Amino acid sequence: MSLVMILLAPLLGGLVYGAERVLRARMQRRQGPPLLQPFYDMFKLMDKRTLIIHAPHALLAVAHFLLLWLAVGALFAGWNLLYIVFLHLFALIVLVLAGYSVRSPYSQVGANRELAALAAYEPILVLLAVGFYLVAGSFDVSAILAHGGYLAQMPLLFAALLIILPIKLKKSPFDTVEAHQEIVGGVEVEYSGLFYEFLYMARFLEYLFVYGLVFLFAGASPLWGLLLVLAVFLLVNLVDNATARVRTDQMVKIIYATAFTMATANIIWISL
Amino acid sequence: MKFFNAFRKKSPWILHYNAGSCNGCDIEILAALGPRYDLERFGVINTGNPKQSDIFLVTGPVTYRSRERLVELYCQIPEPKVVIAVGSCTAAGGVFRGMYNVEDGIDRYIPVDVYVPGCASSPQLIIDAVVESLQILERKSKAIETPFKLFGAVETVAGKLSRLGMAKKVTDAED
Repeated sequence: MSLVMILLAPLLGGLVYGAERVLRARMQRRQGPPLLQPFYDMFKLMDKRTLIIHAPHALLAVAHFLLLWLAVGALFAGWNLLYIVFLHLFALIVLVLAGYSVRSPYSQVGANRELAALAAYEPILVLLAVGFYLVAGSFDVSAILAHGGYLAQMPLLFAALLIILPIKLKKSPFDTVEAHQEIVGGVEVEYSGLFYEFLYMARFLEYLFVYGLVFLFAGASPLWGLLLVLAVFLLVNLVDNATARVRTDQMVKIIYATAFTMATANIIWISL
Repeated sequence: MKFFNAFRKKSPWILHYNAGSCNGCDIEILAALGPRYDLERFGVINTGNPKQSDIFLVTGPVTYRSRERLVELYCQIPEPKVVIAVGSCTAAGGVFRGMYNVEDGIDRYIPVDVYVPGCASSPQLIIDAVVESLQILERKSKAIETPFKLFGAVETVAGKLSRLGMAKKVTDAED
């Protein structure tokens, strides 16, 4: 079962992304693209002529996609949560390297911002794993899912996760990493055709990773988990439509002032 | 491959370039992309990145300052690609025709597939042009399309044509 889920992960993520584009359109009173639009985009990108800057730059996109797939697969297979968080970090470091490996200024600025964002949200992901360990007694995702709900003991950690979600999903108010209007997508600016497609699909996997973390908070009951994911999905898109972008330095300050403080307070509270 | 051709017209991504327009047509393009006319229902995304675009939407008569960028952007769009000239200026110079700082229309520089009339052209016409261009996009092959004129010096590197100095490695890069 989990093997099928892992193999179908990009398809599942694509559906989530398609649903999100429809939802966002409906929130703006538009009709919006069809649900399968991400797959149409994928097939079209396969058909485009591919312009490659240099081989490592192109291959790093593939590596980013495969590492993210590994992280999401490990999450589905019920591995160690701390490993999964660091695998995810590794995947993003690969992306940052790709951004620095070309001389395009937008790519470089995008890589800088990606690093700043990593510095902002990575401690919270680690603290999240620590919180699950303190409550469930194990880092294993399968053990975490066997335990009852976590919202009663980790409400502040959940709020911290909610605050960093827009960075991970590249949404307002924390979408400076991508920022199409100013740096044209950041690190992905020099990619085209087939290799851009890997970054495009990596985005689907990012959705699964993030909503998978939300799902963990419901613990043993999958129904509550799905409801929680649905509620968070609606909330994130509502916030995305209702807010403007903040600067990168403001983003880091906001994350450390609110999310990091809340996460730390919650860890102290659990371990008392 | 034949299988993929059907998907070209389901996901056209747009690059919009203002080649010295008065902004009238640009506003209409943004209106077409906005909630009221909602071009996104055809899968259109305004990417702003030539390397990931399929449709090149150009507005404005080509001013002397913008023609190099126009040709440069056109070259950076990977095939298959189509060009839409939005507004009368872009087709033949419009009210700017014959002015000292203006080229009359973009088809002196790049091949145009669809012309949109109007000063300024309306969102309905722009949507019609995009839908029309999708059929052209579906028929096109992936053969390299070149602009009519190139700017700047070119040199031959390893048997291939390259912009002057582009193939040379930067050895003394600071910081």
